[in-house]
Amino acid sequence: MNRKTILLCGFLLTALVGGAQELKMTGSAPLTQVFGESVESDEPLPMNDLGMEFGYVLYEAEVTLPGGDAELELANVRDYAAVYLDGEFRGTMTDSRKTLTLHAEAGSHALQLYVENIGRITYGPEILDNSKGLFGSVRLGGEEVAGWRITPLEVREADTESLDFGPLGPCNVPCFRRGYFDCAAGNGVYLDVSGWGMGEVWINGRYLGAFWDEEKQQSIRIPDDVLETKGNRIVVFDIRNNDPDAAMRLSDKPVFK
Amino acid sequence: MKNRFLKLFLAIVFLETFPSASAQTCEVDLSGEWRFQTDVMDFRRGSLSPRYNHKLQETITLPGITDDYKIGYESPYRHVDRLTRVYEYMGPAWYQRDIEFPADWKGKRIFLYFERTHWLSSVWVDTKEVSRIDYISVPHNHDLTDFVTPGKTHRITVCIDNRFQYNTHKWNHAHTEFTQINWNGILGEMKLVAVDPVFVEDMQLYPRISDRSVEVRMTIANHTRKPFEGKALFTVSGNGLELTREVPVNGDGETVALTERIPLGRDAKLWDEFDPNLYTMTCRLVTTAGGSACEHEKSAVFGLREVAQGRNHVLLNGRPVHLRGTVENAVFPKTGHAPLEDAEWERIMRIVKEYGLNHIRFHSWCPPAAAFRMADKYGIYFEVEMPMWGKDAEPDEARYDFFRREMRAILREYGNHPSFVLYCNGNEITGNFDFIEELTSDGRKLDTRHLYSGSTARTRVPSDQYYVSQQTNKGPVKVYEGRPSTDWDRSVESDVDVPVISHESGQRCVYPDFREIEKFTGPVQARNFELWREMLTANGMGDQAHDFFRASGALTVVEYKAVIEALLRSSKSAGFQLLSLNDFPGQGYAPVGVLDPFWDSKGLVTPEAWREFCAPTVALLRYPKSAWFGDETFTAKAEVYNFSGSALRNAKIRWSMTDSAGKTVARGSLKTQTVGVDGVFPVGEFSIPLNKVEGAQKMTVHLNVGGEIGNSWDIWVFPRNPSLMRSDDDVLYTTVFDDRAKSYLAAGKKVVFTPAPGKVKGRRSTFHNHFWNPIMFAWAPMTIGCLIHADEPVFADFPTSYHTDWQWWDILENAKVIEMQQTPRELRPFIQVIDSFDNNEKLGIGFEARVGGGRLLVLAVDTRKKLDERPATRQLLESIDKYVRSDRFDPQVELDEAFIRSFVR
Repeated sequence: MNRKTILLCGFLLTALVGGAQELKMTGSAPLTQVFGESVESDEPLPMNDLGMEFGYVLYEAEVTLPGGDAELELANVRDYAAVYLDGEFRGTMTDSRKTLTLHAEAGSHALQLYVENIGRITYGPEILDNSKGLFGSVRLGGEEVAGWRITPLEVREADTESLDFGPLGPCNVPCFRRGYFDCAAGNGVYLDVSGWGMGEVWINGRYLGAFWDEEKQQSIRIPDDVLETKGNRIVVFDIRNNDPDAAMRLSDKPVFK
Repeated sequence: MKNRFLKLFLAIVFLETFPSASAQTCEVDLSGEWRFQTDVMDFRRGSLSPRYNHKLQETITLPGITDDYKIGYESPYRHVDRLTRVYEYMGPAWYQRDIEFPADWKGKRIFLYFERTHWLSSVWVDTKEVSRIDYISVPHNHDLTDFVTPGKTHRITVCIDNRFQYNTHKWNHAHTEFTQINWNGILGEMKLVAVDPVFVEDMQLYPRISDRSVEVRMTIANHTRKPFEGKALFTVSGNGLELTREVPVNGDGETVALTERIPLGRDAKLWDEFDPNLYTMTCRLVTTAGGSACEHEKSAVFGLREVAQGRNHVLLNGRPVHLRGTVENAVFPKTGHAPLEDAEWERIMRIVKEYGLNHIRFHSWCPPAAAFRMADKYGIYFEVEMPMWGKDAEPDEARYDFFRREMRAILREYGNHPSFVLYCNGNEITGNFDFIEELTSDGRKLDTRHLYSGSTARTRVPSDQYYVSQQTNKGPVKVYEGRPSTDWDRSVESDVDVPVISHESGQRCVYPDFREIEKFTGPVQARNFELWREMLTANGMGDQAHDFFRASGALTVVEYKAVIEALLRSSKSAGFQLLSLNDFPGQGYAPVGVLDPFWDSKGLVTPEAWREFCAPTVALLRYPKSAWFGDETFTAKAEVYNFSGSALRNAKIRWSMTDSAGKTVARGSLKTQTVGVDGVFPVGEFSIPLNKVEGAQKMTVHLNVGGEIGNSWDIWVFPRNPSLMRSDDDVLYTTVFDDRAKSYLAAGKKVVFTPAPGKVKGRRSTFHNHFWNPIMFAWAPMTIGCLIHADEPVFADFPTSYHTDWQWWDILENAKVIEMQQTPRELRPFIQVIDSFDNNEKLGIGFEARVGGGRLLVLAVDTRKKLDERPATRQLLESIDKYVRSDRFDPQVELDEAFIRSFVR
């Protein structure tokens, strides 16, 4: 490992945090640009039925609530879901945490679940069931949620250089975020992704890798030939972190929790 | 080492007396007959029998396992998901001998040593339980000194309990019924050892290559309770080297550490896969303590080698190695346990080398010493693991403590072996990764002779020095399947902060070879094969078993060539672990190997042919596709994978293309050049206009580097076939089975029915044969490749073998599989899809029959989507057209029209 590399970085839109160069986000692009073909279904369909082995799917439904607290209960979530109500982040769910309390006013609301499939089951009694995504019953306040719009998100395939970005707004729902930075040295550099949720990142149009805050490893090695001295573009997609001030950082060594 | 000891063998079975022993070490072999009793109810320990020192009432011969003597529950079953163990036994079992301990062993330390057992061994001396050991991966060495009286006969009773002593994953390969069985017995060396009370308890050898020296880190045990002094005489021998060094020793504690660096001289030879030079270090410890003389000798084999973490590769002696490995899962159906003798491991290491590999990953188990010895000798790099899998890292302090002990025992027992290059805790672990980090970090501190990794294919930990995985945070690094193009790799995805090894690549299922049933003469039988064979026979295809085996087997070889070459092209990958060179007989039975579970060839590929694409040096070619039109120009980029230890000086690089008759149609050279070492090197590009290829043909592109290194790839060249599927008065082409089609048939005419795949009920069609096996991964479409009836005239103008190859890609990826079990038995589809071996129904994509008075040919292949980019499908349609217009198109089997209606939507 190249531990000798010293980062000599310029600061265009960056700030120093504990010696690491911070990469701030200044632009955003809506996910609609990578929407695949939507499918309508009474019940949620697993990713397998959409012909997807890996990646992200958006499950959306209109729900009517009596007001107050309502339990969202999923029969199966493989493997990770970020839950939004009326475009506002409410929490995450996994196959070991399949209920979430939603507080809402009485009336009609838009429920959105962004679901990611972390990997296949490779052993154990559950092996016969390799369905991914959301499937089986979804109940909210004891009522079955029906009438789903299911949209594959073609995130991994995205050409981040050709997405249409506007200025970074409040970004309440998952989107692509973009920042610019300069960096003098391009060798042996890691991207510190700690503080983010679950998603993917690109630099200068090159897909860099995926991140998840439940992993111990919180950095991604940047290939030596990716960084330019000026005008690097970083693009981040995250299904959970909607803090417009969230930034990534450059590090000269791997980062672990 | 053994031969230097005074070794005594026993003549008397139940009451042993030994000749008097002089000073020094005495060993007594304990193999042979022992008294024996089962204890299925687990009651003896709590009964009165031990208290009354009861004699056990049966006998057994050791080393051995209960299965060898038909002890246990005789299974009436035919397990589908694994081989059937004929005599099951899980519980305590009791083994007993009366042993007279010689009077002159007075003052010595006395050990009872079992090389390998499962899992808890407890020892009673007469009526008292005196020792318990529960290691899995290392010998059990019971210290009996304080409990036996030299000059007296003791009844030694041993309880072996093969039940799970901790709540660990039941699939781990140290125990699992899926591969080696969870046997009960004692294996390998079993002996009594008496040593003088000042002895070498541990000797670890740390080689340093910069000055060609070795550091001895020794622990001297002193049980005299008095100070001792004397000397340690070290001898290093091997490769013409013979040197000695004398070091004074003294101390007065119970253990005394001694560290001594011994230079081996400039000419000492390094150890690696190409030159596995070994040395033997012997330490003779001669001391006196309180006026009595002690002597002890210990020796160990080592190699001069250092392992380090490189940027993308494991470094051995400072050089990158690329690991070409297979996953070994304790698959030993002949014996039901891993071999303890050198001979069988020597055979395995030779086979591994023969197939161009240099690496074995022992999946969730650690093999016995003989495996390391033979890997040392043949230059194979081992990755070993504890019996740890899945949720074993979830909080459970008793289990954690077991793993803490087990890891330390593995490092101490096998740490000197140069072949022990990589250590990983276990397979695909989940749970508390702080515990995994603790183990990994502790391992690194304890023993720097290996690289460490927390878990395969799961969460990374900070102390990882390498990573074996299906994917990194940059994407997938495993390769399960080939592609019809070779211009791709897994380099970008492998380029993370530590070297990355591709985890369990391959896994392409072959239809079982039922001829293997007879080979299972040991404790396990292939009764599942019998079930599947009966099912196939009942379904009317019993005569096709061998064809299914060889067609799916040939496809697996096609896939493995593509998989391995993709992994060799991945210059930033540290290597790969194929799952596996041999079959895996559990988890649903995974016949994914080119060798059967006995490490015998299945006859699908020769080692010589295999080494063309899997060896230290391999010629590689990147090209965009396998099926071409004759008016196109084939283009390719040549590369050389070279991890052979030396550059290829002034290598002539030649390419050529031969036709199916072996005639060369084009040839040329790339620039003569020196090809580097320890990497993958582009060596030039070439192109071949295909307009000289006549008709539709399989062509072979050859690349030769420096004369000795050659590799070849089949491509297929087809005419454009501009005019296809023209109906006329005699032949109707249709995608719907409508009245017009029926009227053609009723008139005794011919119909070619090519329904759109979306309109066909049935299974998805795929080029690939099933991953691992269809019982464990029961996902669609549950098929194992295709048997092509290549001799039938329908293929007269379509170049194909009896198995599918890359020309079939666009056909099979644009087709639908028709379920045909309800058709007459005599009807055999000419494109016959091989069903999962636990279902065995008749499946097809193309077939012909007499229907409704006419002749019908069905081909469930899309004939519309981008057909101008699908030369093979066009050629198949052309071949079909010529056939149906000839008088050879004369289907013999009558088929009810209702069947046709049954499979279309």
